[in-house]
Amino acid sequence: MALLLRSLVRQSVCLSRAPSLQLSPLLCRHVAPMGTTAKEEMNKFWAKNAKLNRPMSPHLTIYRWSVPMMMSVTHRGTGVALSGAISAFALAALVLPGNYPHYLDLIHSLWVGPALIALAKIGIAFPVSYHTLNGVRHLWWDIGKGFKIPEVYRTGYTVIGLSVLTSVAVAFLL
Amino acid sequence: MASIVRLSSVCRRGVKPLFYQTTLLARPLVVPHKHQEQPYQLTAKIHASQALYAGSGSKAASMHWTAERILSVALLAMGPVAYFSPGPVMDYSLAAALTLHGHWGIGQVLTDYVHGEPKIKLANAGLFLLSTVTFAGLCYFNYHDVGICKAVALLWSK
Repeated sequence: MALLLRSLVRQSVCLSRAPSLQLSPLLCRHVAPMGTTAKEEMNKFWAKNAKLNRPMSPHLTIYRWSVPMMMSVTHRGTGVALSGAISAFALAALVLPGNYPHYLDLIHSLWVGPALIALAKIGIAFPVSYHTLNGVRHLWWDIGKGFKIPEVYRTGYTVIGLSVLTSVAVAFLL
Repeated sequence: MASIVRLSSVCRRGVKPLFYQTTLLARPLVVPHKHQEQPYQLTAKIHASQALYAGSGSKAASMHWTAERILSVALLAMGPVAYFSPGPVMDYSLAAALTLHGHWGIGQVLTDYVHGEPKIKLANAGLFLLSTVTFAGLCYFNYHDVGICKAVALLWSK
């Protein structure tokens, strides 16, 4: 939109000068490359805003919370948590002596009752299923579909519902 | 009247991140028809096509985006395949896909929240180290221990 306005203003300025100068079509170079790169523009943006001590958008404490916002944060949160868990597991595999079944038996001996086990399974299954299902929703957006606000909410609630269902199903049925 | 070229690329939503469209690095082409004569038309076309690529010729960011999506789809497919045919092939494929997906994902998080050249470099170096150790650890687990598929199966058999 800003580009449209700028181009229209530039055009009207060019045309207003046309009667006086014979060469105005040549002088009006309608296309010219920008002086800065995207990286420079980005760094300038951040430097200016940091200097003005502006809060970073979308600042979690000032924006009004909405379901899509919550879901996006959760998608990122589950992603980081899952990645952290995988890294922790890999690190443990490298550092700890003994093998996996040994540690699994150790954990088994700590568990008291099926309720806690079921809770733990749901606790592991939910981040995986939520991140996977919301990931599919993201891919849906990536092919350009489902951007209308009612669709965003509909797909969002579907993802939440299915995540809960699959986590519970996986915890109890498998 | 005046025609504005490439307005559709400014108004298009979703698919390509606007930042990475090179056409936006040139100021838009506005050609008043009454000024158009043969030689100027040709010049305008030459200038336009040069300027459209003048800002940045690199498609690296765009290709990275596409690669991220392809990997996500591949990882999605690996779930059921690993469930129905567990084994070393799936173990190592999952190790690679999970590590890379996580690496690129955390990379995006860092890009969002870390600013300033030295901090960006440091954060990305740390991430690279973490991802390398993660992949090494998963491969070690696959080779010397039960492997990822079996580990999940054992965990769930509680």
